[in-house]
Amino acid sequence: MKGLFKSKPRTPADVVRQTRELLIYVDLHAGTSGADPKREEEKMAELSKNIRELKCILYGNGEHEPVTEACVQLTQEFFRENTLRLLIMCVPKVNLETRKDSTQVVANLQRQQVNSRILASEYLEANKDLLDTLISGYEDTEVALHYGAMLRECIRHQSIARYVLESDHMKKFFDYIQIPNFDIASDASATFKELLTRHKATVAEFLSKNYDWFFAEFNSRLLSSSNYITKRQAIKLLGDMLLDRSNSAVMMRYVGSKDNLMILMNLLRDSSKNIQIESFHVFKLFAANKNKPAEVVNILVTNRSKLLRFFAGFKTDKEDEQFEADKEQVIKEISAL
Amino acid sequence: MGSKGKRGDGGVSSPRSRKGEFPIRAEDYELMEPIGDGATAVVRRARCLPLGGEVVAVKIMNLALRSEADVNNASEEVKTMILTDHPNLLSAYCSFTQDENLWIVMPYMAGGSCFHLMKSSFPKGFEEERFIAFVLRETLRGLEYLHGKGHIHRDVKAGNILLDQHKGVKLADFGISASVYDSMINRNGKRHTLVGTPCWMAPEVMEQKEYDFKADIWSFGITALELANGHAPFSSQPPAKVFLMTLQHAPPSLHNTKDKKFSTSFKRMIGACLIKDPSKRPTARMLLELPFFKKVKSEDNHVKCMLNKVPSLVARVQTIKENEAKLQAEKKPHDKIKEKTSHDEYWRGISQWHFDIEDLKAQAKLYSEENDSDGEEYLHFLFELDTVDETVPLKDVHRQKHIVGNEITEMPSSTTPVPIPQSGKQLENGGPNGLVRHESFERHSKVPTKQLSRAVSNATGIDEYLEKTTIQKGRFKVTMEETEVSTPREKELLERIACLERMLQVTQDEIVKLKEKDAKG
Repeated sequence: MKGLFKSKPRTPADVVRQTRELLIYVDLHAGTSGADPKREEEKMAELSKNIRELKCILYGNGEHEPVTEACVQLTQEFFRENTLRLLIMCVPKVNLETRKDSTQVVANLQRQQVNSRILASEYLEANKDLLDTLISGYEDTEVALHYGAMLRECIRHQSIARYVLESDHMKKFFDYIQIPNFDIASDASATFKELLTRHKATVAEFLSKNYDWFFAEFNSRLLSSSNYITKRQAIKLLGDMLLDRSNSAVMMRYVGSKDNLMILMNLLRDSSKNIQIESFHVFKLFAANKNKPAEVVNILVTNRSKLLRFFAGFKTDKEDEQFEADKEQVIKEISAL
Repeated sequence: MGSKGKRGDGGVSSPRSRKGEFPIRAEDYELMEPIGDGATAVVRRARCLPLGGEVVAVKIMNLALRSEADVNNASEEVKTMILTDHPNLLSAYCSFTQDENLWIVMPYMAGGSCFHLMKSSFPKGFEEERFIAFVLRETLRGLEYLHGKGHIHRDVKAGNILLDQHKGVKLADFGISASVYDSMINRNGKRHTLVGTPCWMAPEVMEQKEYDFKADIWSFGITALELANGHAPFSSQPPAKVFLMTLQHAPPSLHNTKDKKFSTSFKRMIGACLIKDPSKRPTARMLLELPFFKKVKSEDNHVKCMLNKVPSLVARVQTIKENEAKLQAEKKPHDKIKEKTSHDEYWRGISQWHFDIEDLKAQAKLYSEENDSDGEEYLHFLFELDTVDETVPLKDVHRQKHIVGNEITEMPSSTTPVPIPQSGKQLENGGPNGLVRHESFERHSKVPTKQLSRAVSNATGIDEYLEKTTIQKGRFKVTMEETEVSTPREKELLERIACLERMLQVTQDEIVKLKEKDAKG
């Protein structure tokens, strides 16, 4: 287009509006039998272009930094209507590059502030079913990584994390983490960890309320998994959760159980060094507990000589002062029983 | 746009469209010979049994040897590869774990890497400029795409450019690539982490300034020189020296040799990439518009022509191995250092650096608070090594100082300098990474001469040395804390040296790892 017919530069709001129109078209027509393939292809190409442009406005284009005013305009227009829902719903219908661009746009919007309000958070609170869609994405290899990345950005909002924690979806994560595709499993695992460590107070509340089923699943599905990486990441996460001050009540409950102790003692003897070391960081909490229940004391006393022999030869690969100090402490506790 | 460019051989289905076809179970693959070996993983040729024995490459990483952060990096790498769809980038078909190992199934690139090809068949670099231009253009298209997606590759070099007569040219190894969109970084998309392979590193990366896509352009320029000459500039130098040369000297450039004349457009292209100021360096897209790339004809299958001239990858791997074995057999028993040298030099092209400077700083701090004598002990080891080659004539020492430049030698020292005999020859032949310290360490010397002689007799072998240094891991002391500093320039230099020291340490650790892996077979 040249000279007279040169179009007026579009405002960020224009781009959002056009994107929305195209999304509506694609959502209705893509893949349906009556659609005109040529027209569809054109609309798809145009949609891709618009989403790429949204990305450029939000992130800058490599040479120019993003402009705050433009980002604000874009965000306002985006959440004025159901653009986020349309964008998420259309992910399976667009091509790979557009999926990646959409993911980045959604991720960025979670952080955009308009008059110190986060519109994305407010929108999601009113449209929680979108989170159900994103989570069930782990069941579809085609969209899993895109929806997974979007989801992790959405649970930055405390209210959204709470919704996911309190939903039935939490149970599904125990399956998702063990999906045979490593890329998807590790993505699910990252989301799971984020959910259980990011918003301290919310997590503490969740763990207290759901203690029984959650740790039953955690012990039987993850800590006892035959998959090396599942087990390794689970024991690390368990340590992180229990050692967090905000979860101290949960920790006390966990280390008061002989069943938990038995699982941890078995992990101490795992063939993998990493798992042994991480288990030790949980095991030490059982030993350090000042109010050990009789059943826990019993097990420790019964195995005292074996435990002491084990710790005598238990070392980290790299020198670790903290580890050695902890170990001394544990040996002292056990010897004194 | 790269993806729209005409492909020489057409009809190649992109790996992406075949995702889902590949089984996610180890027993469905029959592993064959190793075709590549990096610091943390092995790549093997394999047959995918359910797909009629289709040949693939499988990268196998032992996760047990990796820290939590490294496992997370591996996940990111895999995700990036799975979501990559560009004819000039190596993507992944699928990934899964098998016991402690992560398997990444990828397209098999029968031609191997450009580094490998040169190593076996073109030690002085590729002969035809047309071929070099083609390989570079394809690589650049891959980079343009990556940059457009907000990724910095961070390890562009001939060792990561793979060839296949049907699949063309692909840039590989996203192991240390970084996304400028991820949350780890500040909002204007710049990074600080010191990452890459020393010879190919841009000055701003070395200095740990902020850097962005332009760092890849520098590495690309170095890669162009590498393809033309058979090696990267300063490739025979230890990393610390590469740093000094890159930072203090004029950028390297392309020159005609006795056997080879290069076009002006080629020289100009390299000149543009190797501008020290990143803001003045062109982007990948701008480079693609240069005459040097415009004149490349897509219709010719350059890769096929080239690969037809040389033995197959398997045969080449064999030749390289045999040559190394021959070299080894010729070695005198006490000549172990040299052996390490050639070995390290070989690996330098394939292995990579990766470390978090903050972490190292923290470690150094930890240890310096803990026990002062540890640092002393470490210095002893440095000298044990330096003195191994004590028969070198003294004049070489002067020559070597000359090479390095005068800042270092002018540096006042609060302690007695001990001359460290070291041969210029050694440096030219590829002073092995960290195995031979260069003279900037003189100023640390608090070691009495008698200890030096003890050190000489103690240095029974490199293995022992390496063993000791592993134990010393993390015990780096930032020496500037001990030294009186009078001028800002001096302070700056001391800081830089402290940084280089840390890098050396990491290289040594890497050598130890490689060595161990070698020992295991």
